Amino acid sequence: MNDRFGIGWRPELAAGILSNLDCIDIVEVIADDYCGAPRPKRRALRTLATQVPVALHGVTLGMASAIAIDSKRLEQTARLVEEIQPEFWSEHLAFVRAGGLEIGHLAAPPRTEATVEGAARNLTAAKKIVGAMPLVENVATLIDPPASKLSEADWTSEILAAANSALLLDLHNLYANSVNFGFDPYDFINRMPHEKIHAIHLAGGRWIKATTDDRRLLDDHLHDVPDSVYELLKYVGQRTFRPLTVILERDGRYPPIEMLLNQLDRARDALRGGRAKLSEAA
Amino acid sequence: MSAQNLEAFLAKLYVDSQARSRFLADPRREALNAGLNEDDCAALEKIDFVGLELAADSFARKRAACPPRKPVWNFTRWLKRR
Repeated sequence: MNDRFGIGWRPELAAGILSNLDCIDIVEVIADDYCGAPRPKRRALRTLATQVPVALHGVTLGMASAIAIDSKRLEQTARLVEEIQPEFWSEHLAFVRAGGLEIGHLAAPPRTEATVEGAARNLTAAKKIVGAMPLVENVATLIDPPASKLSEADWTSEILAAANSALLLDLHNLYANSVNFGFDPYDFINRMPHEKIHAIHLAGGRWIKATTDDRRLLDDHLHDVPDSVYELLKYVGQRTFRPLTVILERDGRYPPIEMLLNQLDRARDALRGGRAKLSEAA
Repeated sequence: MSAQNLEAFLAKLYVDSQARSRFLADPRREALNAGLNEDDCAALEKIDFVGLELAADSFARKRAACPPRKPVWNFTRWLKRR
């Protein structure tokens, strides 16, 4: 199966990535870093896209919201997608602004029918303006979204169905939410429509103290991928027949590129192990 | 409109420490003052208080690390508008 393995493109990792393109199938670029960027920076991205397949990843559109998405931001994304011709583009099932306030990061909205409908409307608008439906990514949250009526699995699968979109399954986000809020991540995977899982994110995080006797896992992208996440990847491999794109995300405390490539190799082994079990079962 | 009001209320709790303090002192009153409906007020009374503080702190760190980008001033676009 033609699974692909890649790394999130960061300036600090550029040299390491470019000198190891023989073992990196794809890079994922943060779209917002290039929307409205000066021409030389965009030209550099076009050059990169001639050297290695590129996926674009958005972080500021706020798809999962009862509030309509800003069409100017979508138009900027559309111009970038037109210019770069990525393999795919993706965004998060989060809200990032409301009431004139910028939250500054990805916030999990209340999981309700209203946000399912809002997300479907926003994703449909995104497809219309950008020309392609984004993959949608599950987000990590430190707060159980108040006023939620649906489980995360039901809410996510309802959005996938309502918008006819596919999933970028972030396994560390899933793992963090499962340990923070006490649900079974394997059950979450079972409840996703497997044919709609197109891509995977891997990352790491750290435990932070919540109260004197409680702690929560923060998805900070500053640490290595934990074993539990590789186990989840193996399980995904056991459940899905379609090729997957697996991206390793790292946003700081950069180790030598060899260590990141080792993590990609572990991901290859994990997914291959899951695929082998899938073949045995078939 | 109710869902939009709730998102706006949550955004305020996440970014405004004074609003968060007022809310923590009396969640129902603050939610009612914001015009939220009875269901949302009841849900906010049972909010994950620990998670609220952790999330607000995490968002504040993100905002400090990555302040919102100023719009790029585009000389060509400016000329075309004239």
